[in-house]
Amino acid sequence: MDRDTNFKRYLKLELLPTPWCPGCGNGIVLKTVCQAFDEIDMPKNGTVVISGIGCAGRSAGFFDLDTVHTAHGRAIPVAEGIKYANESLNVVVLSGDGDLLSIGGNHLLHAIRRNTNITVVCYANETYGMTGGQVSPTTPYGTKTLTTPDGNKDTPADVQYFFKNRNCFFARTTAYHLNHMKKCIVEALKFNGFSFVEVRTMCIVNYGRRLGYKNSNEILLHYKEFYKVNDNTVELAQNEIGILKYTSSPDAEVIL
Amino acid sequence: MPKQLLQGNHAIALAAEAAGLKFFAGYPITPASEIIHELVNKRHIKVLQMEDEIASINAVIGASLAGLKAMTATSGPGFSLMQESIGLAHMMEVPLVIVNVQRVGPSTGMPTLPAQGDIIQCIHGSHGDYFPIVFYPNSVLELYTYTVMAFNAAEESLSPVILLSDGYISHLYETIYPHRDFNIKRRNQKPIGTSNRHFTGLSHEDSVIKTTDTENHRRFIRRLYEKQQLTARHYKFHEYLECSKETDALLISYGALSRIAYYFKDKYSLYRPIRMFPIVEEIKSIAPRYKRIIVMEMNAGQYVHEIERVLRREVEFVSVIGGRMDLQEIKEKIYG
Repeated sequence: MDRDTNFKRYLKLELLPTPWCPGCGNGIVLKTVCQAFDEIDMPKNGTVVISGIGCAGRSAGFFDLDTVHTAHGRAIPVAEGIKYANESLNVVVLSGDGDLLSIGGNHLLHAIRRNTNITVVCYANETYGMTGGQVSPTTPYGTKTLTTPDGNKDTPADVQYFFKNRNCFFARTTAYHLNHMKKCIVEALKFNGFSFVEVRTMCIVNYGRRLGYKNSNEILLHYKEFYKVNDNTVELAQNEIGILKYTSSPDAEVIL
Repeated sequence: MPKQLLQGNHAIALAAEAAGLKFFAGYPITPASEIIHELVNKRHIKVLQMEDEIASINAVIGASLAGLKAMTATSGPGFSLMQESIGLAHMMEVPLVIVNVQRVGPSTGMPTLPAQGDIIQCIHGSHGDYFPIVFYPNSVLELYTYTVMAFNAAEESLSPVILLSDGYISHLYETIYPHRDFNIKRRNQKPIGTSNRHFTGLSHEDSVIKTTDTENHRRFIRRLYEKQQLTARHYKFHEYLECSKETDALLISYGALSRIAYYFKDKYSLYRPIRMFPIVEEIKSIAPRYKRIIVMEMNAGQYVHEIERVLRREVEFVSVIGGRMDLQEIKEKIYG
């Protein structure tokens, strides 16, 4: 089989197209996750994908694997329950920034603390797209959204700091940097312990166009201009993407 | 196993082990904490103390999907937090057991004292229509027995089953013989990670999401209802004590309060539902023999409305709001 289309074996192609809007970045992330699966030849038997609620929450259903679509914010505890019940499973969580950082934020903090051996891929699109475009935990300061007509007065969550002094894996990447994204996800899947990949991705219909972007290509070009790859650091600057080096003591325990 | 002096909560833990419990996730709460204290010492049971009750019920859902018999235990405040995910478990048809050791509410209330304020929350706590099976024993031996039954009913119906207790029964010490002569039901569903199913809280049919198909959703709810009714037929637990003397009154009570009701057995006939929901049909054939039906419970009126609805007649109500259970006070209330 041609290597380029081999990743399709992880998808239920008959369910396509996805429910996502034209120009949405979720499909790019979904495809890259499958390519990462393919690269390390993830076994279809023994891999489960869990997601929460929202646009990104619909990802799990497209995998040709056993998948779970949980309640809003609860993808991580369900994934942990599965992992603790059957250590031999590869457990992957795909969900959005609202789901993982806002309503499910507490679970994320504690999953990091427990260092459960699961992989989380976060579609950070800076908005609640499915409900029309409200402010989300990754919306930049000052941004106008449906619920912040005078600009966002809160500072966005910088997830890398949740991982400070923890023996976990953290990477930030974007929907533009496809090879980098694949590398980050592959490294995360290989990591023995809790791993988290924050993918900056775009919502054009309910977010980007209100900020003046004409199409999602313009947002991708913005990522290209703005983000610089830095894979050799303990702290990422705002305009940097990369994989964090560990900052914790190496003897910190990995559970399962 | 020899006879043992056991606390109610310990009996629940022992029974869960006998029923094949392999995974427990919970969060500390009075008066249910003794259950996790007991289970954490069992080597072959994975016990997790999670960050809250929401995480606990979701971890239990995950573990159950992975093929293990799983349980969580909590009290009113934690039970309230779990409601959304209980709906999820009904939608995804995940078998599990939730123990709710009731305490006085609303809110933090009186944590160490018993109440029966979560009766309606059991069946209507989550949004949408679902039809849970609920047991409520009234002694340490019964806690032991019906914990096992709760696991069996969960496996049979592929749904979350609720075992109610209260701060009184769960902290009561009684001598019981913790036997293992039970018929234990096994899981008849493949664990997650072996196929390509999609478990979802969205309306669905055979792993395919159907978000706007009303007919499909109505069929689904109908099937859930029928499945629960069918399972419930195998668990018709109730207690009916006919008065030795002539009487025209039937006193209905359950849980901790039903132990005080035994005092009135020479004046009234007594009826005690053990399977609280779906309501045991036998009450329909018992009730017509009595002019007066009196429901006594530790809340401002919850099960009484269910009894009224089922019997379609007027029912007298004795309310003993949660907290102290005092025979003198109850006598005055019943005799008027």
